[in-house]
Parts: sequence; C-alpha cells; structure tokens
Amino acid sequence: MAATRSGRYVPLRDYAVIGDGRTVALVARSGSIDWLCLPNLDSPSVLGAVLDSGRGGRFTLHPHGPHDVQRRYLPDTNVLETTFTSATGVARVTDALTLPGAGLGPLRELARRVEGLAGRVPFRWRVEPRFGYGSAPVRLQMREPYPVATSGNDAIAICAWDAGSSRSDGVGLGGDFEVREGGRATIALIAAHAEPLVFPSRAQTEARLEATGQFWSRWVSELTYDGAWRDAVVRSALALKLLVFAPSGAIAAAPTTSLPEAIGRTRNWDYRYSWIRDSSFTLNALLQLGRHAEARAYFWWFMHATRLTVPRLRVLYRLDGGTEATERTLPLDGYRGSRPVRIGNGAAGQLQLDAYGELLDAAFVYVRGGYRLDRDTGGDLARLADFVCAHWREPDAGIWEVRTTPRHHTQSKAMCWVALDRARRLADLGHLSARHAARWRAEAAAIRRFVDEHCWSARKGSYVWYAGGEELDASLLLLAIMRYDAPDSPRLRGTLEAVRRELGAGPLLRRYTGDDGLAGEEGAFVCCSFWLVEALAIAGRRKEAGALMDDLLHLANDVGLYSEEIEPRTGDFLGNFPQGLVHLALISAAVEMERQTT
Amino acid sequence: MSPWSALAGGFAGTLVLTTAVTAASQLRLTRMDLPFLLGTACTDDRNRARVIGYVLHFVAGLVFALAYYAAFLALGRADWVLGMLFGFVHALFAGTTLVNVLLPVVHPRMGTPLSAASSTPLLEPPGFMLLNYGRATPVVTILSHLAYGAIVGWFIGAAA
Repeated sequence: MAATRSGRYVPLRDYAVIGDGRTVALVARSGSIDWLCLPNLDSPSVLGAVLDSGRGGRFTLHPHGPHDVQRRYLPDTNVLETTFTSATGVARVTDALTLPGAGLGPLRELARRVEGLAGRVPFRWRVEPRFGYGSAPVRLQMREPYPVATSGNDAIAICAWDAGSSRSDGVGLGGDFEVREGGRATIALIAAHAEPLVFPSRAQTEARLEATGQFWSRWVSELTYDGAWRDAVVRSALALKLLVFAPSGAIAAAPTTSLPEAIGRTRNWDYRYSWIRDSSFTLNALLQLGRHAEARAYFWWFMHATRLTVPRLRVLYRLDGGTEATERTLPLDGYRGSRPVRIGNGAAGQLQLDAYGELLDAAFVYVRGGYRLDRDTGGDLARLADFVCAHWREPDAGIWEVRTTPRHHTQSKAMCWVALDRARRLADLGHLSARHAARWRAEAAAIRRFVDEHCWSARKGSYVWYAGGEELDASLLLLAIMRYDAPDSPRLRGTLEAVRRELGAGPLLRRYTGDDGLAGEEGAFVCCSFWLVEALAIAGRRKEAGALMDDLLHLANDVGLYSEEIEPRTGDFLGNFPQGLVHLALISAAVEMERQTT
Repeated sequence: MSPWSALAGGFAGTLVLTTAVTAASQLRLTRMDLPFLLGTACTDDRNRARVIGYVLHFVAGLVFALAYYAAFLALGRADWVLGMLFGFVHALFAGTTLVNVLLPVVHPRMGTPLSAASSTPLLEPPGFMLLNYGRATPVVTILSHLAYGAIVGWFIGAAA
C-alpha cells in the first residue's frame, strides 16, 4: 500500500521508532524521518517535521515515482526494514540508530542502508536539519570529506556512500542514485555535541549496523517471557528499552512532545520526562521479563533523583535527574495544526498523591525481586510513608493530572493506602524501621474508611472518580491490580462492570467522564484497556481477558506499537508515540494472564 | 611550612568539606554525595560503598593538600586567603573536569554521554558543574572547596 499523507502530515500510525538508548527517531512508512532530538531524546529536535511540516526538518529517503511500501522490524530487534516496490524493481531500506562499538566512533549515528533486491530502483534522499526545534540558525557547508551542518556547539554531517553526489541548496542537502539488484548504498547522519565530529568509514558504519541488530537479538533472547503473547510482549519490551535513557537509567514516558490527544486542540504535552507514577509498573515489568540490570539501574535512578525533594515527590523528573521542567510553548505549527507545541511540563509541580503509592509499591516489588534496601533508602521510604500520613486528606490533581480545582480522587486515596500498606510490609520484613508502623496501620485504616464512605456510589454500584461525585474513571481498575481489595470483592466487581459499561468504546476505554479543565474531547486511553485485561484476569475471567487482549493487539500499528490514545471511531493514533505506559500495561496484562494459567 | 601541616590541614579541610556537602544534601540543596560516588566505584553495595568512599575521599583530600603545599612552596607564601583562591580553582576543576569528565570515564557503574542501550549503568553522570545533582550543587561545591582551601592554607601558614 502506498504511503499516504493527511495534508502534509502522515498519520501517527504510520510511524515506527528506532533508538540507541540516548535518543530516538520516528521513521514514517514513506521513508521520512520526522523526529530526532540530538544528542539526547530530551534535547531540542534537529528533525521535527512531525511538529511542523514546513520548519521542523526531516530526512527523506524514498524511490522516485509511485511505489508500494511494506515494513517490519528485523525479528526481535529495533532495526527497521522498509521494502519499496516500484514498477522497475524492489529495494530495501534498513534504518537504525547504531550502538557504539570498539574504537572511535561518532557520538550519535543514524544509519540508513539501501539494498537492491530486484530490477533497479531510482532513489532520492534529502536532509533538512533544523536545530533548536527549528528556531536556531543553521550553517550548511559542503566541506570535505562530508557536508556539515552546524548550530552553536552542535553539528551533524551526512556521510553518503554510493548514494549519489551530495548537493546543497542552502536549506538542505541531498542526492539521487539508482540501486540495482545486489547493489547497496549507505547514508549515515552523524552528530556531535560540544566536541568535533568523528567521521566513520563506510565499513565501520555498516559493521555497527550489523552489530546493533545482533545486540537487540541477544537482548531479547535474555527475556524470560515465553507465553501466548510473546510477539507483543517482546515488541513492547523493545519499545520500552528505547525509552530507557542509558546514561542515567531513567525511563521517559514517551520520546515525543505535543503529539496531540485531540487533533487541532490544545491537549499537547511534553512526555520526555520520567514519571514517578510509572515506577511500579516499570519495575514489575522489567523484573517479570528477567531484565534485572535495567530494573536495578532504574531503582537506583529514581531513589537518587527523588533525594532532592524527599519526602515530597515531584510528579516527574528530567532524565538527568533534575527537577526543572518549566513549561513553555514553541513557535511551531504543531501536528496537523495542533497548537501550542509545548516543551517542559507544568504538571511537575502538581500534588499527585498516587505517586507515593506507586513508589512504595515499586520498592516492595524491588525487595520481592530479591534485592535489599540500604539504610538511607529505607529512611527515605519511611519518610515518604510519614508524609502520606500527614497529607492524604488533601485534595490533589490525581493520576490524570487534571487542571481543574484539586479533588479527593478515589484512586489517589487508594494509592495512599497502598503506600502505607507497602511501608508496613517492608517494615515487617526488616527493610524499614518499624518505629512508625502503628501510625501507618492506623492511617491506612482511616483511608479505607474514607474511601468506603465517600468514594462509593450505591446508585452505580461502583467506586467513583472522586469523593462525592458520580463520574467514573478508568484508573479505578488499578484498585484491583494493586490488590486494594480482594479480587472477588463485590465492590471491585461492581466497579469493573461500571467502568466497562460507562467508559467502554468497543475494546477501548476512555479515561473518564466529566470535566478535566480542558477544552475538547480526547480519544480512548490505551493503557486503561490493558488494565481492564489485567483486572479481568485477576478476577478470574481469563477467557474474557484473552479475547479483549486479542482485540487490543489488532489495534497496534503495523509494527506493533501504540500511541497514548486511539480514536475509537477511526482507529487513528493520538497523543505521544510510542507511549511507555501502554506497553508497560500490555506486558503486565500478558504476564498476569500467564500467571493465572499456571 | 611542612608537609605534616599540609596533611593535618588536608584532614581537617576534608572533614569540613564532607560535612558541608552532607549538610547541604540533608537540607535538600543537592543530591551530590562524594563518598557514595567514590565508593560505588569499588562496590555496588550501598552501605559498604559509603564506608569505602569516605576513606577514598579522605585520601584524596590529603593528596590535594600536598598539591596545595607544593603550590604554596613555589609561591613562597601560605595563608588562608591564598588557600581560598586555590580552593576556588580546585572547585572549578572538580566541577568541570575531575568529577564531570574524568570520574564517569573511570567509574565502572556511572553513565557517560556515550552510554547506550548496550550498557546499564547504575549511577547518573554528574553533568557540567555537577548540575545533574541539583541546581544549587555548583554553589555548594564552590563554598565547600573555599572552606577546604582556607583551612589547608591556614594550617600550612600557621606552621611556617
């Protein structure tokens, strides 16, 4: 099927992702790379056409004339293979952000290899680098041995071998070439930051490309999951690994900013931060998949990052551990006119009480995984529990970071209960001082009383979004996943049914009904649907859970990835892409179902 | 001036520097923890790392005091004001080069800007002027090193 565009923008569903543990690129089916931040995934973009088709910058590589496109990841890797079939022949493009090998290599390297499979295929490529989200001045020079684009202390070079002679028109550079059966061309975009460019030889780039594929295959071979949904779990694990910022061990929520939750509206957020909320899901997933090295690095990272603010938690932290996330807007058009394009995230300063439960549950998961807590970490966790005792009665912004007046969100209260429950259990196991355990127990009981009395609707037979309200919210499913109540408790069963009934849209779930302080409607929130799968499995309804899982897997794009949201009527992807929480929820649901069958 | 006075000053100066940084950490001004950073180069056990790190940090403090002593000898004078000046240069060197560039290179468990998906370091790199560990970290670093330099300079000058 030929690549299609909606105006000047391709559907978000058309993107695949490649990365190297430092940064990530979005590659469209058309062969255009429309998102790449350098040197790190939270740095300003150099290729940003997904946010501004005119000014953002892109790296296109495609055949002349009409052609069909098929693509896949090389099995068990993050190396993308796109096959173009034209009237005159067939050619394959292999894309990867390469991993460093032995010897001197570029700081970052995006390698694109073109191989002729049949006949002859004329190709055209063009790079339009736009540093600083398209706003920094760029100097493009046809230097020897390779053309170079510079801006401040950043630089990229385009190394092209058998890909035609490079030409520059002042705003971009490119070339034309023809690849014949058995022929091969390679183009590498290499980058430097605050250091000189390191030019690779063609052999080095191609060797790194091969080695990168081998690394990913090896990494996947060490995963311990081998259940019914192996392909989806492996793809999710690979996507998650791309969100791990290797220099620190932090995990970004998504590698993009401001991909809209509603086309043309203002629900556009920067997800290139690490949310403490995701800590429990992340540790669970990594440990369940046997990825102990990443789990340990992540635990070390978030316990270190939070030290600056303990006992108060920030909602999110920068990937380098910093807390600064000032929100501002960029003068870009936005994806299909969805403005503003934001960088930074204003939710950072919100009070979101559920994060305390997530973090203490993560520590509990870590200990259950066979690890010990040192005295300082234990002390910090105990102070977090004390903080929960002192603050759980306050209203907060909740898991969905709503920008209305703070409310008493049911899920936040339940997660406060989880925080105190896990603290008490860690104290029982000797990892935390038991000095305040009696207080934790008493406050946990008080939370439960509050939830029972104020957060339950007898009319709906369900817990509700917030105390005193009648609206529902899909995060209530987490009460089952976090074992707030027994899986067969009437209240959890009632909530599960009510959430399905009121928030369901086919196999998908919307996040909530009611006002969230923002204009416009959004799509269905994909992670909630996987939470439903897991909640059904926990409730012993494995057949229903399996059927729903199958339905949801059909909603992934052609390479098995999900964005944050899906428009239920059209199946269009919405929101940042790929979203880590969706893939975490998928892994968690698959593992839970496997557990229920064994 | 004697090397013994330099070592005594180095011990006292390191004691004050370590205490100042630890106090700043407890006051939530920084996440920097030098004994932890140094100790985790030897072990991934957090508790043991701190003990080893304190020893290594004091050894480093004594070595730097001897370097100060050599500089005082070359200049022919030693006092706390000159010591503070050395401390300032020392802090800049630590923030821009020693801890920012050299430590991540030799530290087996610390990430660097080159760390990729094929590695899983346990410690985040400090960044330029150690800013990754909190925005107040450069100030804490400079003030604590000024104190260290002043103490070393005073000990060496007083023994002259």
